[in-house]
Amino acid sequence: MKADGVLFHAKHAFMPNSLGYCGPDEKGQIQRDLEGNRSDEELVQTLQKFEAAYPFLKLIAKSAGRQVFDYSVPEAYWIGNRLLDLVPVSDFYSFSHHEIKGRDPEKVREVFRQLDGTAPPHHTFYVMSTYATTAVPDGPNVRNEAKRKIAELVDNCRISWGTVRKVGKNELQVEARRVSVDDGGLSLTSPVVKRVRYNPEIRPFGTVKAGDVVSIHWNYACDVLTPRQVKNIARYTDADIRLVSRLMKSKEDRK
Amino acid sequence: MCLTRAGKVVSASQGRARVEFFDGRALDDVDVSVVNAKKGAFVEVFGNLALGVLSPAEAKRRKQAWTEVARAVGATRE
Repeated sequence: MKADGVLFHAKHAFMPNSLGYCGPDEKGQIQRDLEGNRSDEELVQTLQKFEAAYPFLKLIAKSAGRQVFDYSVPEAYWIGNRLLDLVPVSDFYSFSHHEIKGRDPEKVREVFRQLDGTAPPHHTFYVMSTYATTAVPDGPNVRNEAKRKIAELVDNCRISWGTVRKVGKNELQVEARRVSVDDGGLSLTSPVVKRVRYNPEIRPFGTVKAGDVVSIHWNYACDVLTPRQVKNIARYTDADIRLVSRLMKSKEDRK
Repeated sequence: MCLTRAGKVVSASQGRARVEFFDGRALDDVDVSVVNAKKGAFVEVFGNLALGVLSPAEAKRRKQAWTEVARAVGATRE
């Protein structure tokens, strides 16, 4: 079970790391280990160097009484499952102040104050609430071009999901919903067809087929999801969007 | 996952910039058009998009926080 959790986590952390947005400079190790289906100690040590993702896993694992790389822990963080509901909001609040150093403490307080302690330690919530509390000029009412760029950023950075329609050599055509930013907050569009990269050397992508549902991070297919995971990612993403839209609305109301 | 990272714009042209982050890393193609940041500005970057401009005082505080993170995870690449 532990091995699967390491690889599941690595699959979802891989692309933003390779783009230079987070984690250590691991010189291709994650990709090599994923292609070789190896979850050895070296990979674990690399994943422990991610400044935010690993502390989130520790938080969830501690609350659930599980090992950090038990499959259910990274699954809760990236996709969403009932382990998120076991994290006391006071622990998440304290964690957000002391473990995630990149965030402004006042903005963290704002999130928790506005949401009355309903914030989940879910990756998508982190991404969306970061946008909602970052000092973009004019906040949610930014001009259209900026709005499009921000929606694209949030969409790339969250874990999205899509149904495979066509399988190419290194590219999948998927039907997926995008994030839209408007004055009422965030929402998901109707499904659109888009292209995402994938690596057929990484299991189970050697046998990926039309109809499979894949998780996506920075336009890269991370894993093939089970029906339970599809249900969960939709449910937790919806909840994240509702919370963050509330946050954005309260920010607007205070102007 | 992406962290919000703070850093300094060291060169900028047509809305794109090289940003050197306080954690010792750098990105060459940050979109700074949303915040209209110029060379010398301190910016807050999420992924590859600058979402905020920081005052020098706030930038100094963030730099200190990042130094603590780097020390904690042993991930500095100097």
